[in-house]
Amino acid sequence: MSLKSIPTNHSMLNPEGQSTNSTNAHTLPPELEQTFTLLTSHRSVLGYLLLARGPPVAIIRHSGVVFEGEQGRKYAHAVERIVESVHTGLEEVAGDSGEVDDIRFMRIRTKRHELLISPDTAIHRQTLCYCIFYSVSV
Amino acid sequence: MEDLIRLRIDSIMTPRIVPDLVEVEQELFELPQKERVTYNKEVQTMTSESETETPSEDDIRERILREREVAEAERLEKEKQLEEESARLDKEIEQEIREMTEEERNSIFSAPDFLDFVEQSTKIVQRALNDNYDYTRDYTIGTETGGDDSEGRRVKRVCAFWDEHHCKNRSITDVDWSPKYPELSCASYNKNPATINEPDGIVAVWNMHLLERPEFIFHSQSDVLSVTFSPFHSNLVFGGTYSGQILLWDTRSKHLPVLKTPLSASGHTHPVYAMQMVGTQNAHNLITSSTDGMVCSWLVDMLAQPQETLELVHAGHNKTGEVAITCLDFPDNETTTFWVGTEEGNVYQANRYDRAGAKAGLNQYDVYKGHSGPVMGLDFHPLIGPVDFSDLFLTCSVDWTVKLWRAKSLSKPSTTVHHLHPLYSFEEADDYVYDVKWHPTQPAIFGSVDGSGKFDVWNLNIDTEVPVVSTTVSSGRAINKLRWDHKEGRRAALGGSDGKLYIYDIGDMALPRESEWTDLQRSIAGIMGGNQSNGTLDGDSARIVAGR
Repeated sequence: MSLKSIPTNHSMLNPEGQSTNSTNAHTLPPELEQTFTLLTSHRSVLGYLLLARGPPVAIIRHSGVVFEGEQGRKYAHAVERIVESVHTGLEEVAGDSGEVDDIRFMRIRTKRHELLISPDTAIHRQTLCYCIFYSVSV
Repeated sequence: MEDLIRLRIDSIMTPRIVPDLVEVEQELFELPQKERVTYNKEVQTMTSESETETPSEDDIRERILREREVAEAERLEKEKQLEEESARLDKEIEQEIREMTEEERNSIFSAPDFLDFVEQSTKIVQRALNDNYDYTRDYTIGTETGGDDSEGRRVKRVCAFWDEHHCKNRSITDVDWSPKYPELSCASYNKNPATINEPDGIVAVWNMHLLERPEFIFHSQSDVLSVTFSPFHSNLVFGGTYSGQILLWDTRSKHLPVLKTPLSASGHTHPVYAMQMVGTQNAHNLITSSTDGMVCSWLVDMLAQPQETLELVHAGHNKTGEVAITCLDFPDNETTTFWVGTEEGNVYQANRYDRAGAKAGLNQYDVYKGHSGPVMGLDFHPLIGPVDFSDLFLTCSVDWTVKLWRAKSLSKPSTTVHHLHPLYSFEEADDYVYDVKWHPTQPAIFGSVDGSGKFDVWNLNIDTEVPVVSTTVSSGRAINKLRWDHKEGRRAALGGSDGKLYIYDIGDMALPRESEWTDLQRSIAGIMGGNQSNGTLDGDSARIVAGR
């Protein structure tokens, strides 16, 4: 398994050796950019993590202090495992009956926070996971 | 070989010697052995306890087993170690920062699936974020502060939908509620004069659970002046534009309309300010009207040309035959007769088809004359409850008044010009009144919005001279349209000229009591004050006008 992480506000190096002085906007369409900023500016949102599924979990984008660096990678792993285990669980439950119930949305409420995980429901597994960290004041 | 030896032995053994046996006695003496003294070096140690017994078989077996176990354990141990190492290595490999190549990222970002996914996911997440109810709340702990402080007569603002990107510099021209999903409402907007790249007209579908951005956005090439959800298909939204085109959008498609009427003389060529869907699930038509007097009826799936067109012409008018329609309404349960409000201030009745005794087109003889300015809104009383008030309708106009009328019965068409007067005139407003709508479930209530940003809720059973509740929605900015939600009428959508869609909740006022209908009958009778019914009124019969 290999992981990728994108540090924000650093200049990035490609394997080819070019360096892009990117902030967050690579070639993300402006509407999506706006959507993401809208989400992160919500008062309860601590950050988000955009993951790509597939045998190595990859972080496409992330934002927020919570998801920086090592912490972010750990979260990516954890989320990937959670989603995988739920998915396998549902597959087991379905057994041989064919029609597998798939995950639509996950809301994990912990003592201090709430994670909202939205996986893509496309059939092929080259799909994306999405995770937002949300703080709830109890 | 054996044969050879036998032969040899035979050859040697020929001379035979017989031995003689003699007895001999001999004495044997035994001498003691000489003692030999030897010296050895010896190690003096303690005798050890362990008996070096020869181990028994069981013991041997045991020992072998034990040894095997030990060996096994060692092997396992080693395996585990190896595993751990490999796991650690794996982890290390994981921790390795591999950069996602630009191409990979670009390819992901440009895939349409990705865009769709992000749209969907962010909508869901935003709705979840907006959900304020804490479902893990423990009610046994803590004290809750007092709940609502709203009593019976309060109107509360629920939310105001506005989006910086889409709604800036635009005004709302029409609003509607979804018949299927009570949390969805839509608003149509006119042009943003500041930008040239944005579409001239947009329709936004808003979700009460998603406050920051519209659920859907639809584009149009010209200002959208009227919008309606299709009552029979939950995905379809119709819009009438400034150019006269009727557009159909589908929530399942993207921004552009799925069907458009042609910009030709067969449809409308003037702004379409009023639309209504009439009929039943199986046989329904969209009726649209434009300011040049054209009324067209369309089939939903065939917008290429109207099913029928009707030009309303006022034949007997002293100045011009043209009828500039600003608003249109069908009474409940009627699909062929409708009333229109015009720019000159009169309200006319018209027929779509020839009826017994009446021709298709405008009924020029029965003129509902009362307003002194263009009629901005016209609404028939809904047919609900035990008493039928569906011949009552309200109109509002730029002459600062709202008027209540009784529609003349169609059974006796007139042949001479007849001026019909309103039953009552509500003169409380001090600005243009832009819209008036009856409440869908409470028969005595109606709402009106005016140019000073006020939203008035009237209850005819309580007071006919002043509204029960008057709320300033946005000071100084006019409210253009008002629509009650279909189900219970608890909420009203107000479209402002500042581009904001306000949702207000009137709470328990929306619930009718048992006696509302009979009370309303009495109120109306009181209003009319003993005058006879419309058909025989003459020009200046007393109207109870509440002066100021």
